[in-house]
Amino acid sequence: MVVVALTVAGARPLAHDMWMEPTTFLPETGQIVGVKLRVGQDLLGDPIPRDSSLINQFVFEDAGGRKPLVGRDGADPAGYLRVASPGLVVIGYHSNPSRVELTAEKFNQYLKEEGLEAVAAVRARRNETNAPVRELFTRCAKSLVLSGSPVDAASGDRVLGFPLELVAGRNPYVIHAGQDLPVRLTYENRPLAGALVVAMNRRDASQKASARTDAEGRAKLPLGRAGMWMVKAVHMVPAPAGSNADWASYWASLTFELSGDKSGAH
Amino acid sequence: MRASVAVLTVLVVAVASRPTLRAHEIGTTRVSVVFEEGRTYQIDIVTDATALAEKLEASAGRTLNADMRSEQLQSLMAGADAMFRGRITLMFDDAEARPAIAYAVRPVPDASSASTAAIHLTGEIPPGARHFTWKYGWTFASYAMTVRNASSVESATEWLEGGQTSPPISLAAPPSHLDRLQTAWRYLVLGFTHIVPKGLDHVLFVLGLYLLSGRARSILWQVSAFTVAHSITLGLSMYGIVSVTPRIVEPLIAVSIAYVAVENIFLSELKSWRIALVFAFGLLHGMGFAGALRELGLPRTEFLTALLTFNAGVETGQLAVIGAAFLLVGWHCAHRGWYRRRVVVPASALIACIAAYWTVQRLMS
Repeated sequence: MVVVALTVAGARPLAHDMWMEPTTFLPETGQIVGVKLRVGQDLLGDPIPRDSSLINQFVFEDAGGRKPLVGRDGADPAGYLRVASPGLVVIGYHSNPSRVELTAEKFNQYLKEEGLEAVAAVRARRNETNAPVRELFTRCAKSLVLSGSPVDAASGDRVLGFPLELVAGRNPYVIHAGQDLPVRLTYENRPLAGALVVAMNRRDASQKASARTDAEGRAKLPLGRAGMWMVKAVHMVPAPAGSNADWASYWASLTFELSGDKSGAH
Repeated sequence: MRASVAVLTVLVVAVASRPTLRAHEIGTTRVSVVFEEGRTYQIDIVTDATALAEKLEASAGRTLNADMRSEQLQSLMAGADAMFRGRITLMFDDAEARPAIAYAVRPVPDASSASTAAIHLTGEIPPGARHFTWKYGWTFASYAMTVRNASSVESATEWLEGGQTSPPISLAAPPSHLDRLQTAWRYLVLGFTHIVPKGLDHVLFVLGLYLLSGRARSILWQVSAFTVAHSITLGLSMYGIVSVTPRIVEPLIAVSIAYVAVENIFLSELKSWRIALVFAFGLLHGMGFAGALRELGLPRTEFLTALLTFNAGVETGQLAVIGAAFLLVGWHCAHRGWYRRRVVVPASALIACIAAYWTVQRLMS
């Protein structure tokens, strides 16, 4: 009898980003926009079809309020929305926690990559640096699309209330390539200080801009070129008691498209 | 056992609609492996064409042009053959195989769907090869790999992460799918061996239950309470409804063993509160079993079968312990005057000492 091991032991580190790619960042009013979920590195992603068991919230918010994205399980794009009126549409995907088990080596490497030195320090203090880890990870992805003219600077990003959330300090559709984007990072609706925030452009994702958040959870990221951008941050806390895990991580991302046209500013 | 099956069935129905913790984000890549008569192999990879082309271009330091047609994507992939091979590994025993690879990108049926790449790998199996291992590094998501023999319709499915090396798959016998019966047998055995010989703590607990009194009624009541209780928490834990960290469960299991053993020294007949306590302890042990079962891993397709048969295996292991104890001492001497003094009390004291030691040890670690 052939016994194929059915466990997923020895899985690769799940230090992959997760982000949303709308079929267009600049839809017409009335247009249907498909929202694709992507998992990968350096904005090179694999499609993740809709899986309702993973969805905690998959919503969009505009001036008219908050509505769910519709979709069918197993489909990519994972959800669709209809742009009802001109303005900024904030799309959010908040996953249920997934469980992963990592070897000490892989976990330590991933802490280093994601700027989670504080967690590494706690592990060192507890003599756990060489211990394998059971982790719960939760995705908190956002995407901003704009319908109509960007001149209405008053309409900006919105707080969706995700556990870890990146909020654009300015509407990215009113700034242009070469300017800074201020962002705010919150964990459980409070500013998160000292966290590594990284921005990358689809065209040269290996050239990353990064900054640490200040005491108010704010950071400024220079966006050097036009095109699709992703801003990301990872936060890790001890897993809640009774969760049968050691650490809980939260993966925030924010995608949008930056105009290269200077006339778009102000 | 029938009672625990009933309890678990009820639980399963109750939780069927509840979202459970999922291990991974499953992508759209699929890999199927077919072995023909032990001589040749055929591997088909089906994946999102644009996602693959993007990664191939990025590896070459370029950016993929948007809106490429399927023929263009196909020729891009064929041109990046050497690059593509760099992130796949196909091994027969310790020798790496170099397959012939054909790339095809299917035209998009309509504007809303993504184009799919179908990559076909073929080659000869080295004579005498015993195992096959596979690694595919062009996806970041989880994917399914199915393996079958050309002569068989049965296939085995393996869930892998991008870049993860598969476990060795034997070529000696057809890589048959573990059907329900095989899964049942496998988890029954795993459940049994989790008690005998691997679970000395559970063995001592069951012996503690056995030693209380020589009467069949006493053993029957306690074992039933214990069984129902551990079945409940095993089921609840595996479905993610109940979750208590092993840091709490494991020391408490040790405490439960010590308690039962100490009580045996002062008590010689079954009281109703003892049954209640044994029930409560059973809840703890069930969580311990769940931790062990989670480490063993459960097949996605036969989750319930594996859960029920593991529980049955655990049960059989416990009954074997009681049977052995009965044959060894109970049968000859349970009715003798010195049985309590010379067997029950010293054995219980020994169990209590070991369990106390474990309690301290588990609290420290």
